[in-house]
Amino acid sequence: MGRVAGKKLFSIMALCAMVGLLLLPIAVSLPSLAIGADAPDAVKKEGEATVEKGRDVYYKTEGIVVGAPAPKTVDGPKDYPRYNFESRVLLWFANQQHLYYGSFVLAVPIFCMVIEFMGMTTKDKAMAKRYDQLAHDFIKISLTAYSLTAILGGILIFTFLTLYPAFFGYLSSIFRPVMHIYALMFVAESGTLYIYYYGWDKMTDGFLKWIHLSMSVVLNVIGTLLMFLANSWIGFMMSPAGVDEQGRYLGNIWHVIHTALWNPLNVHRILGNMAFGGGVVAAYAAYKFLASKTDEDRAHYDWMGYIAMALGVAFLIPLPFAGYWLMREVYAYRQQMGITLMGGLLAWLFIIQATMIGILFLSTNYYLWQALGRMRGAEKYQRYIKYLVFVLCCGFLVFITPHTIVMSPAELKAMGGQQHPVLGNYGVMSAKNGGINVIITTTILSFVWYMRGNKLSTVSWSKFGNIFMGVFFGCAYVNIIWLAIYGYYIPANVRVGLSVPQVATTLSCLFFMFPLNAAMMKGAKQMGAIEWGKISVRSQYALIMLATAFTWMMGLMGYIRSSVRLFWHVNEIMRDNSPWAYTHTVGFAANMISFNVLFFWVSILFVFWLGSLGMKKAPVEAKAGVPGGAPQPAGGH
Amino acid sequence: MGMTIVYVVVSLVICIAYFTAVDHFLMESQGLDYWYLFRK
Repeated sequence: MGRVAGKKLFSIMALCAMVGLLLLPIAVSLPSLAIGADAPDAVKKEGEATVEKGRDVYYKTEGIVVGAPAPKTVDGPKDYPRYNFESRVLLWFANQQHLYYGSFVLAVPIFCMVIEFMGMTTKDKAMAKRYDQLAHDFIKISLTAYSLTAILGGILIFTFLTLYPAFFGYLSSIFRPVMHIYALMFVAESGTLYIYYYGWDKMTDGFLKWIHLSMSVVLNVIGTLLMFLANSWIGFMMSPAGVDEQGRYLGNIWHVIHTALWNPLNVHRILGNMAFGGGVVAAYAAYKFLASKTDEDRAHYDWMGYIAMALGVAFLIPLPFAGYWLMREVYAYRQQMGITLMGGLLAWLFIIQATMIGILFLSTNYYLWQALGRMRGAEKYQRYIKYLVFVLCCGFLVFITPHTIVMSPAELKAMGGQQHPVLGNYGVMSAKNGGINVIITTTILSFVWYMRGNKLSTVSWSKFGNIFMGVFFGCAYVNIIWLAIYGYYIPANVRVGLSVPQVATTLSCLFFMFPLNAAMMKGAKQMGAIEWGKISVRSQYALIMLATAFTWMMGLMGYIRSSVRLFWHVNEIMRDNSPWAYTHTVGFAANMISFNVLFFWVSILFVFWLGSLGMKKAPVEAKAGVPGGAPQPAGGH
Repeated sequence: MGMTIVYVVVSLVICIAYFTAVDHFLMESQGLDYWYLFRK
């Protein structure tokens, strides 16, 4: 009894210590921020003549200049020291690898938190043990990846210092008031992660387990704040604020952090990281499934792959909307920047991006259709899949059709203009929005089918529920397509608003049909158990495809976002005068992204191998494949 | 069969009303006129 009380006391102390660590950076920052706020007053007291004021380039507020102007760099060893290689490519590589691992270690602890919570709340003890073991395995992989993230972060800073000292010096001077917060939060995250991991076996039951779960919440809050701080740097580089037109800091760090693009970047990145993390773990499970020798192993990794895929796709579905918001804010900030992205120099990369998004959703749907095969009773849906394939393909083709094509003068003349007489009509935004919304709605429908695959509703209103659901999806498709066509007949300034009801239509399917389906399936009759492990090998390749497409698309979008600054280090504030201040060709960029993807996957395989050395698997209570005996995740799926 | 038709009609009325309201109010919230073409 006394030992348990001691454990409880220790746990509470550990949690308090972590909360304290979380709050420490804020507490430490208060005096410095206060000094930052007082500094102008101090200057003021010395005499009005010494006070120099500047106007914020974004907020348009006046502030007292407390920083040096952005350096005017010249191409030479002082500002741009180099090896016999393109410095930008080296930095690109270091940055991309750090981002891949950073995303992974941000996403996986969030998954752990969700899975551990599911394990704690599920009533089935065997299932609870499996969830707990799965979360433990995830965090173990994350631990090794975390060390690599820190190493890559160090390499990134050294690359900046060595190859771009003037630029890095300027950025550090602007963010000086929060640099130590970043460092302290990194320390807090490391400490929390290690206590969370090593405390796993010591805090297994009751109150102690809740304390352990609380640690994961603290861990994820720190991780998310770290990402938000890192996002403020790229937000500042794209849409600077808090400085005057010479780049001089005006004493308000919140203006520097809270730039025009910070919020959409935060939302887009957190969703993207989660989808990416889910994809990587799903690919890991798929690889282990393919390499499994026993049915038991196949059942375990099939289940693991499904959970990771479902979590990843849950964040993939709202991701295009967050991306749309980001682009909208880019247009609102600088119209020219938006045109460069989507209608000019970088537009072809967006066509590639559209193709990748389409591949992601096609792979997800394909996996779900294959997954129907491991459920008895789901055969009834198989004959309708061909219609979903048709709808998906139509949406995909409209979504990837370009408005204009890169052509030689002779080709241009032969076609009679920049736009193809037929296909050119589909390349406009209202049609593309229709295309992607149709794809996402179809994915939601596939999920609904999967969730009811082996079940028969027993509620008294099931007939009305089924008809209502069918009509709702039908009307949603009609509304999305109608809005896409309607856009052609109204002026551009009205048309631009149609995307909002289109998105709302898709989200209505998600937020209304999932709960309706869950209500209908409450107490449903089971047609047969989910036979984990009895899924086609093709489905596992779809998971690997999903993860690879995520990785490639992250690399692509990072490149697009970064290269939209063109020849600026900090947009319109600090010019890039290095010999590499030009935009690479699409081919070179694609090769570079592919190299980064390849390197990441080779290195993460090493991480997985390290993680697998001491991994133990939870015993499967009932052998998978025995109808009625296979353990199922909460809610049946 | 009779009840099926009733269910379909009721569902259609609810869904069409809902999506029309979504289109109208979300355009209005942006200061735009959803019925632009029909009013012209």
